[in-house]
Amino acid sequence: MIREKRIILRNSGVIDPDSIADYINAGGYKALSVALSGTPVKVVEEVVASGLRGRGGAGFPTGTKKQAAAARDAGTIRYVVCNADEGEPGTFKDRAIMESNPHLLIEGMIIAAYGIDAERGYIYIRGEYYDSNRRLEHAISQAYESGYLGREILGSGFSFDLEIKPGAGSYLCGEELTMLESLEGKRGYPRIKPPFPAEKGLWGKPTLVNNVETLANLPGIIEHGSSWFRSSGTRRTPGTKIFSVCGDVRKPGCYEVDAGVILNDLINDLAGGTRNGKPWKAVLLGGAAGTFVPYSCNDLSMCYERLKERCATLGSGAVIVVGSGRKLIPLMQSILRFFRHESCGKCVPCRIGTTYIHERSLEMSGAGHDSRISILDEMVNHARQMAISSLCPLGQSPILPLETLQRHFNETIATE
Amino acid sequence: MLQAKEMVIFTIDGRTIEAPDDSNLLEIARRNGIAIPGLCYHRKLTPTGACRLCLVKIEGMRGLITSCTVKVTEGMKVTAFDRELEDTRKLLLNYLLYEHNDAYDGTYPDELRELIFRYGLEKPDNRYFKPVWEKLKFVTDDSSPVLTYDPSKCIKCFRCIKACDEVQGKNVLSFTDRGIDSFIIAGTGIWGGSECDGCGECIQLCPTGAIVEKPNREVINLEKIEKSVVTNCPYCGVGCQIELLVQDGRIVRSNGVEGVSPNDGRLCVKGRFGYEFVHSPDRLTRPLIKRNGSFEEATWDEALGLVADRFTEIRNRFGADALAGYASAKCTNEDNYLFQKFIRTAFGTNNIDYCTRLCHASTVTAMLKAMGDGAGSNSIEDFETTDCLFVIGNNIIDTHPITATYVKRGVVKGQKIIVVDPKWTPLVRYATVWLQPRLGTDIALLNGLVHIIIKNRWTDTKFIEERVEGGLEAFKQLEELTARYTPAYVEEITGVPAASLNMAAMLYATSPTAMIATGMGMSQQVTGTHNVFCLINMMLITGQVGRERCGINPPRGQNNVQGATDVGCSPLNYPGYMPVTNDDNRRRVAEVWGVPYESLSPEPGLTTVEIMQAGYDRRIKGIYIMGENPMISDPNLNHTEEALKRMDFVVVQDIFPTETTRFADVILPASSWAEKEGTYVNSDRRVLRGRKAVGCPGEARLDWKIIHELAGRMGWPMPEYRSENEIFGELARVTPIMAGISYVRLEQGSIQWPCPDKDHPGTPTLYLDRFNTSTGRGKLFPVEYVPQNEQTDRDYPLMLNSGRLLYHYHTATMSRRTKVLRDFVDESFAQIHPGDAGRYGLTEGARVRIESRRGELETTVRVSEDVLEGEVFMPWHFTESQVNRLTRDELDPYSRIAPFKLSAVRITKI
Ligand SMILES: Cc1cc2nc3c(=O)[nH]c(=O)nc-3n(C[C@H](O)[C@H](O)[C@H](O)COP(=O)(O)O)c2cc1C
Ligand code: SF4
Ligand code: SF4
Ligand code: SF4
Ligand code: FES
Repeated sequence: MIREKRIILRNSGVIDPDSIADYINAGGYKALSVALSGTPVKVVEEVVASGLRGRGGAGFPTGTKKQAAAARDAGTIRYVVCNADEGEPGTFKDRAIMESNPHLLIEGMIIAAYGIDAERGYIYIRGEYYDSNRRLEHAISQAYESGYLGREILGSGFSFDLEIKPGAGSYLCGEELTMLESLEGKRGYPRIKPPFPAEKGLWGKPTLVNNVETLANLPGIIEHGSSWFRSSGTRRTPGTKIFSVCGDVRKPGCYEVDAGVILNDLINDLAGGTRNGKPWKAVLLGGAAGTFVPYSCNDLSMCYERLKERCATLGSGAVIVVGSGRKLIPLMQSILRFFRHESCGKCVPCRIGTTYIHERSLEMSGAGHDSRISILDEMVNHARQMAISSLCPLGQSPILPLETLQRHFNETIATE
Repeated sequence: MLQAKEMVIFTIDGRTIEAPDDSNLLEIARRNGIAIPGLCYHRKLTPTGACRLCLVKIEGMRGLITSCTVKVTEGMKVTAFDRELEDTRKLLLNYLLYEHNDAYDGTYPDELRELIFRYGLEKPDNRYFKPVWEKLKFVTDDSSPVLTYDPSKCIKCFRCIKACDEVQGKNVLSFTDRGIDSFIIAGTGIWGGSECDGCGECIQLCPTGAIVEKPNREVINLEKIEKSVVTNCPYCGVGCQIELLVQDGRIVRSNGVEGVSPNDGRLCVKGRFGYEFVHSPDRLTRPLIKRNGSFEEATWDEALGLVADRFTEIRNRFGADALAGYASAKCTNEDNYLFQKFIRTAFGTNNIDYCTRLCHASTVTAMLKAMGDGAGSNSIEDFETTDCLFVIGNNIIDTHPITATYVKRGVVKGQKIIVVDPKWTPLVRYATVWLQPRLGTDIALLNGLVHIIIKNRWTDTKFIEERVEGGLEAFKQLEELTARYTPAYVEEITGVPAASLNMAAMLYATSPTAMIATGMGMSQQVTGTHNVFCLINMMLITGQVGRERCGINPPRGQNNVQGATDVGCSPLNYPGYMPVTNDDNRRRVAEVWGVPYESLSPEPGLTTVEIMQAGYDRRIKGIYIMGENPMISDPNLNHTEEALKRMDFVVVQDIFPTETTRFADVILPASSWAEKEGTYVNSDRRVLRGRKAVGCPGEARLDWKIIHELAGRMGWPMPEYRSENEIFGELARVTPIMAGISYVRLEQGSIQWPCPDKDHPGTPTLYLDRFNTSTGRGKLFPVEYVPQNEQTDRDYPLMLNSGRLLYHYHTATMSRRTKVLRDFVDESFAQIHPGDAGRYGLTEGARVRIESRRGELETTVRVSEDVLEGEVFMPWHFTESQVNRLTRDELDPYSRIAPFKLSAVRITKI
């Protein structure tokens, strides 16, 4: 029987999220003092040493990003942007952090900003997250009043301003470059990469973009040190990870555990097992832009390196459980409808490809065994072409669920 | 000047290619004949990476890369064509055909269609998918006067959006909805009623005919185009290069010419759609002689015989100075050159002028005196690259739309703009600071700026010492004169807050480079010359001249208003600004013309308004008017009308019956610009080649041929020119600033004068080393502010200002014969401030009578905060409401320009 290991969520449900005093009494903003008493370089070095990887989906080493953003053009304006758009279906862990402990995120952002010498930060938050929005708004004004934000923070020479920008309900706006466009007040179309945000981000300035959970890890790393951080998780995925477990389970919810947790333990011990008590049929890891795994993968260790070996992804930490009684074709159709709907339409392969494969998937429902197999095959081929030729990661995503469906569930789909 | 970039060497499909470092890979590949497909890329736009057709492989880079988004680097190894790439491209094209309605009607160039053929997809059987576009419920937008948008043909390449935003600086277009359902909207919905002003840049850059031109849609067939002719725009002085498509002897389309100065393919609504007048049924096609008060058709022989006889008779009876000529700012250099030669020889007088007197004569006078050249000092491209632009009395967005595109692009890159205008203009949106002085107080304002500049030591002492005549001594006088123009004093006169004055002075004087663009608001005043002196003073003491991207520019009104003066249509100067009073000049000209030196008059002639005043006084008896319409364009029209009536013999040579032809004794049918070979000079002194697209209608003749024949009939024969080319050859011989220019050279591109010899490359910026004055130095002219004579009073409580609109041009003889332009605006109006509207009980749309001390008119009210309280603005193009019935013919004593910008009026409801 495994248990949660609450580090990020340790104060969640314990302190009053609307009270900065509660947060401070629980040891909050201590990490900030530690950071400010050292040099920015030290902050970056500590994060690099911690091995923290981005929790937004791509798992990119956070320290490397910070180094890149700090390195360019001394003296220029820099920005820190928190990605709180949380649009990936089945993902709700950032919301848990923001609603239960907004100051943790704020503290993480100030530390990040200090590390790269940014003077301004934005939290790009999913528009529908009203409570998170309100809590953060309140917390930010408290932080200003208490001198954690604004000019000369805690008497140091460092100043930092922080602002919230609500998004407008587009999945793609969670993609970092599109988010920067949206922050600049433009329509949410992706930018051409490179340049990456660390080179030319918001208004062309070096910008650090990190996920909420990533930033919420920084206070711990700075206060207790990188080796403390590395004592959780695995060697290549250090730290804890919050999984959003949902679907056909008895106790859906956010669970913070050591990275590397065994998939079945997560489902059975923490999420209460499947609803009908039978072995699950499939799990979709990482949301719509994620990968399907079959029950034979129930011993999977949930860390980047192991998942990669088995051609699965960790993504944002979404774990969508498909019970034995549920059909896969409708699920697949709804994923493809999602991509069709969320494709911004800028590039040809994704705009038309997502429409085309969705239309094809609809034809599957009434089709027989062989034509289902051939339609799925055709869809996978299209998705592969889209992955090669699309402009941004959205168009490169449908291949992930489709290919894994075909690999593990070809026959199931043909016969269900 | 752009710095030459280093060259790099790289390979595409094994072929070695050399190109400037950092250039666009797709562009370079195509220039080297490697036809990588691609639909969303356009040379003029930032890369979009949308269509993905230009994917290539680059050694060392992961996956497929869009070549349109990559810069070339040394040693790069590119694969542009292999099986995988071609398969991917073919799939992408099939995808496009899935959403795209590929019906083609042959009325537009279709880049997608070319690719469809190239990849063998023209037959539906060869395509991968059954199309889905019919299921997407797209609605065609037909609401614009100039274009139609059909979303089913749209491939969402972003070219139109970027054309509108990045190229024209208007930013009207965007996508709405998402994914495959997305389509283009203008503003927040359909084109009609949006801010789209009809320039058609989106049409020109749309690769698939999703946006197409409305005019001639029914007629045009690209396969039946018999010729396409590159020529000059017939409207304003920007001098845009256009390509006219001719089908069945008629012009059916005008495209912007890509890749050449001054416009690089851009046009405004007039240049793109304003050609319809050429084929108007109203064109004059036969000579007309007035007999017993009405016009009767006549033969050329009859008409020319009569004209020659009558003019000769007047010359013999009353002397040469009883004759006068109005040249034309719309005719070519060749036409105008021959015209002034005709007036100076056959008439024997220097009484030659034209409407330039009514636009920038004061500017030219001041510039000639202070700096020695009567033209803009910079090139159009500098409007984008200078650090600071001081725009005064110049509604540049409406009157010089393409110059304005450069300005707007500059603003995006951080250019600072100072607007000085009593009336709101669209440029105010882009301005760092807007000064809104009361009408007629410019001198006080400019002296105030000079005062602030001197106070803050933002002057350039070294420049003053080295390049200003009298150096610091002369400067001292200016300092003393402007000492009393303190910000507080200037605020009192002009109404402009001291803080704004400070800001403007600081921006102009301290920017690394700064240019002035001065317009009609400055020049069309009784103090016009003094106004411009003040501007030049400010420029000289700050050293914002004599370097690249610095100087002063008066964007010119008509397509050849610059050229006509350059080639001698001036009462003071022979071609090339050589004074007629100078004996040597007279000798030189007489020699080239082969006339006795004594036959050329040494007396300066009368100017435009003076000619009419002399007509009124019965001192001028006969006039020859070529392509001008003084009965709209001259001030105090009631007086002009009387003058024309009192003259013994009036000849008007034009393409249309106009307000002026009514007063003619003989009307000679002439040719439009589309029927001519020749040259024009635009606002940045660029000599541009115009070419013939269609033949003259009916018996209409080329202007120069009419003049030529008349000269012969009056006993002053000119050489037998075989072509316009030969006329230009002679012109170049008497015009030192154009001596090095020839038709052969112009085939390679335009040349900016001065160009003194055939190896000279032309002059993009004037005054880099010296001014063109006798001493080589610039001159300061300190002048005092004096209140205007024309003042409001109890009877005439409002001050009327007049000006132009984007959609119309000059006296509207051409623009109002074009349906598209009429569709945008076809009515006169008067803008008045809401406060005045309340005061005089006027509401939007009310019909009113406007009266001045000289005349009256009727028009419609538009209530608008664009004008200051106490001031009224009217466009002057409309014959139904002739603004110049209200204006004065009091003249600027130096340049003889009239004050169109300032007339006291009253408004009453009818
Ligand atoms: C279509 C799309 C949607 C995304 N949505 C989110 C999101 O909602 N939240 C998020 O943190 N990252 C999202 N990402 C990932 C971001 O692009 C980016 O990798 C992340 O913000 C980096 O932060 P991290 O390094 O802290 O993970 C999305 C990516 C794509 C392609
Ligand atoms: S891949 Fe999809 S979401 Fe991304 S740019 Fe292309 S159309 Fe837009
Ligand atoms: S209208 Fe034309 S230019 Fe504009 S996006 Fe569509 S296809 Fe491209
Ligand atoms: S800007 Fe002037 S020259 Fe250019 S197209 Fe318009 S009217 Fe013609
Ligand atoms: S031309 Fe490069 S993506 Fe369209």
